[in-house]
Amino acid sequence: MQDEESLVRRAQQQDQQAFTELYEEYFDKIYRYIALRIGNKTEAEDMTQQVFLNAIKSISSFKWKGIPFSAWLFRIAHNQVVDYLRKKARHITVPLVESLSNTDDNPELVAEQNLEMERVLLATQQLTKVQGEVISLRFAGGLSIAEVAKAMGKSQGAVKALQHSAIVALRRVLSVEWSNEEEQRI
Amino acid sequence: MKKSKEFDDILNECLDRLLLKDETVEQCLMSYPEQADELEPLLQIAVATKRVSTIQPRPEFRARARYQFHSALQEMEAKRSRPFFRWLPQWATVVAVALVLLLAGSGTVAAASDSMPDEPLYQAKLATEQVWLTLTFSDMGKARLSAVLADRRVAEIIYMAGKGDARRVEVVTQRLERCLAMMAMLASAPEAEGAPRELIEEAPAAAPEETKGRGGPFVDGNDRARLRMRVAHFAANHPAALRTALRQAPEAVRPALLRAIAVSEAGYEKALEALD
Repeated sequence: MQDEESLVRRAQQQDQQAFTELYEEYFDKIYRYIALRIGNKTEAEDMTQQVFLNAIKSISSFKWKGIPFSAWLFRIAHNQVVDYLRKKARHITVPLVESLSNTDDNPELVAEQNLEMERVLLATQQLTKVQGEVISLRFAGGLSIAEVAKAMGKSQGAVKALQHSAIVALRRVLSVEWSNEEEQRI
Repeated sequence: MKKSKEFDDILNECLDRLLLKDETVEQCLMSYPEQADELEPLLQIAVATKRVSTIQPRPEFRARARYQFHSALQEMEAKRSRPFFRWLPQWATVVAVALVLLLAGSGTVAAASDSMPDEPLYQAKLATEQVWLTLTFSDMGKARLSAVLADRRVAEIIYMAGKGDARRVEVVTQRLERCLAMMAMLASAPEAEGAPRELIEEAPAAAPEETKGRGGPFVDGNDRARLRMRVAHFAANHPAALRTALRQAPEAVRPALLRAIAVSEAGYEKALEALD
């Protein structure tokens, strides 16, 4: 991909090619981020699409003032997630894991991977909102700590501390599950 | 406090190495032997959590989303690229274009009539067509003209597909859709049956040959039956021609061409129903 700043400037001048390059770069990341945050495949698809349609509408308002484009885009996604979670009680959630793995590998391996993925997804639901946000941006969105800090409007030090506490919390949840499984096997 | 901050930094560095550089837990631990006991379980959790990065959108969703994204971009482009005529009321546009046609003479109009969407005279071609439509007063006359314009749009779609220009294929497909919808609507209007001959048949300068009263395909009285024959001919040929183009088209243009095929099939079906 070209230098992102020049791509964004061209996209702001309505250059479709530049916009398409940005779209291709971020589409999967935004989808993963939303899917991990809300745990619902269908809603994640609709919301991902909406993030980019909103981005087209508001790209002219984006300004390079120390905020990377990625942080701006993930903020749009974050706002949609927040709106969705606010209304979530009215929705029926669809299990995410069964539809996430697109691999055609052997069924046993796929089942095992899905099980592990499900554990991780369930564990992330146990985190606090800000811990979940850090883990989603970092692991699903693929952002650097600096980008996460800009997207969340926090200092890098604060985000690193949140990241640490989130992983400790994940460990606590996952360790309990793993030891329960061990006991069942014995 | 300071020690905790240092550990946060070390953990973050190791996560960067695991997530962004695909290094292993062991490599990270070797760099920080003193913190290895504390780091290792956290990095193992990070490795398990890293699995979420394999989540992929479904291919059909990806294709649908890409198409809608490009359509939204084109809509934005279309709004932007009508700077001159956009602010004028429709009647003023017609008068302006008619004046230009009078002043520029039939040579320019003839040259424009063959232009393609990526050529400078294409906007003149569209403007000229708008004038023809405006100066054609009966519904049946407008329906006949719409059929001719649909034929032009299909030719343009095939031309742009050959050049690999998906964006213009989509824009012209939208015009084709509007054209076919207008034809169906006009053909179903009660006035369309037995409508009087109108200005288009008196052949305004440089109107497309096939729409003129004398020498063209719509010469005599029963215009409706003739139009139906022409539309039936297009209904068979246009989707077929687009399918041929699809077989030879670059991958990037195929979704747009598939949509053009769907639009032409559905549009002609409705037009034929309206003419029955």
